[in-house]
Amino acid sequence: MTYAIECTGLSKQFGSFHAVNDINLRFKQGQISALLGPNGAGKTTTISMILGLQKPTSGSINVLGMPAGTKEIRQRIGALMQDVKAADGLTVKEVLELFRSYYRNPLSLARLLDLSGLQQEAKRRASALSGGQRRRLAFAQSLAGNPELILLDEPTVGMDIEARGRFWDTIRTLAADGRTVVLTTHDLTEADGVADHIAIIAAGRVAAEGTPAQLKAQSALRSISFRSGCDLSDAQLMQLPGVVKFERHADHIHLYAENTDILVGALLQSGWGIYDLEIQSAKLEEAFRILTNQQ
Amino acid sequence: MLLAQTKAESLRIIRSPFFMLFSILMPLAFYFLFASLNGADKSIASTTYGSYSLMSMTAFSLIGTAVSQFGIRLAYERRDGWVRLLRLTPLTPAVWIGSKLIAHMGIHLLTIIVIFSAAQLTYSFDLTLAQWVSCGLWLWLGSLPFLALGSILGTMKNADAAIAIGNMLHMGLAILGGLWMPLRTLPHWMQSIGEWLPSYRFAHGAWNMLAGSAPVLLDWLILVVSGILFMVLSGYILNRREAM
Repeated sequence: MTYAIECTGLSKQFGSFHAVNDINLRFKQGQISALLGPNGAGKTTTISMILGLQKPTSGSINVLGMPAGTKEIRQRIGALMQDVKAADGLTVKEVLELFRSYYRNPLSLARLLDLSGLQQEAKRRASALSGGQRRRLAFAQSLAGNPELILLDEPTVGMDIEARGRFWDTIRTLAADGRTVVLTTHDLTEADGVADHIAIIAAGRVAAEGTPAQLKAQSALRSISFRSGCDLSDAQLMQLPGVVKFERHADHIHLYAENTDILVGALLQSGWGIYDLEIQSAKLEEAFRILTNQQ
Repeated sequence: MLLAQTKAESLRIIRSPFFMLFSILMPLAFYFLFASLNGADKSIASTTYGSYSLMSMTAFSLIGTAVSQFGIRLAYERRDGWVRLLRLTPLTPAVWIGSKLIAHMGIHLLTIIVIFSAAQLTYSFDLTLAQWVSCGLWLWLGSLPFLALGSILGTMKNADAAIAIGNMLHMGLAILGGLWMPLRTLPHWMQSIGEWLPSYRFAHGAWNMLAGSAPVLLDWLILVVSGILFMVLSGYILNRREAM
């Protein structure tokens, strides 16, 4: 298996702040990979370095077999960055034709309009589009060069649920053509739903890496939720066998433990008038919270 | 790539409402206002007021296009992430800036033709074709230093401040350079500043040609030197920022 992107010992320092701290990452060719992490974890900085927009303080990045930032790579990469406004004075069609002119082997205008769902807006001024439509135009711009590698920085910000669904369908289609997709997101459900491989980043480091299933298994905590007939103190809950932590949501109590079988037994024998008992297997959300808090 | 980029940049300038207003409509409106107030036939600097003021207002229009459309737009493109986005594409900075310059020079030529034609159709000046062509060419090439001035504005990080400074530069250069009112009607201290401004030298060359002479050495010198100075300065600012 070859890798589209390989980051080795990558660090980026702004003054005394370590935005990215000795990261090793590899993204396989032809897969959809997600860089998942809370805001400020270093995702955008990592993407910027992969794109050659920022120079690493130390470490190396290899993109499509070349050092990051090489001119030739730009022919083969498409990138969707955050917060880019559309060029004023040009229509959607004109913007896309302009971007097509930059590349040796561009996708057709019809395909770009189709992928971004902007056929109806082709003749409208880019500056007159709605926020979601502008984002889709930016997405179409990033695909103009028929890229082998697509980097998406928080791609679905500003899209409604329906648009998101269509967007992920498009991404899957693009990946099915053999393209590599790397995206950043702080939304777990998205990463879980679309990515083949997830790297969780927290405080500038890789906290965990693997397929969504592997990550869920890594945090072995399961949870039990129930309601009780009597008032239970925090100490009473923590005395239960194997309880790592608990949460209260209204009168629902959630207990987290590695072995829920023993815990269920203890609860039923406690005489606390337990009802509405539910056992849940780990969610990625839980894995994410645990992994990012370890740092 | 260069062709498509030039076409796109040209469309963006022409479609800008600010270009229409400040570079075409306003100079024409002021030109006709001044010409009718003073009388187009009134004699001034060995030529008629109508043709003298035509050179001033065309210069005023071109300075505005170069400073605002080029400079302020650059500042906004930097602020809005457009410059960063283009850095991700195979478009090289040279082609990008080159296309902007070509687009500007094309539009400057068009502006000169439109303003000259509007005046000639109204007043039917007694000028030879050679005079029209040489004045037009002088103004056309003379607009280059002002593009260099615009490029300094384009390096500004605060795009809103770039607008304010751009307008101040545009108006200041026009008034002190004697484009609104002939320089000799201004107070003495303003005259002594104005004589050294590239905006005065820009129009002065054209006024001389109307009177049958040629631009003087100082016209050439100030325009060329200020153009080079502006270019070096904006290049220096950009390089220093890259290094950080």
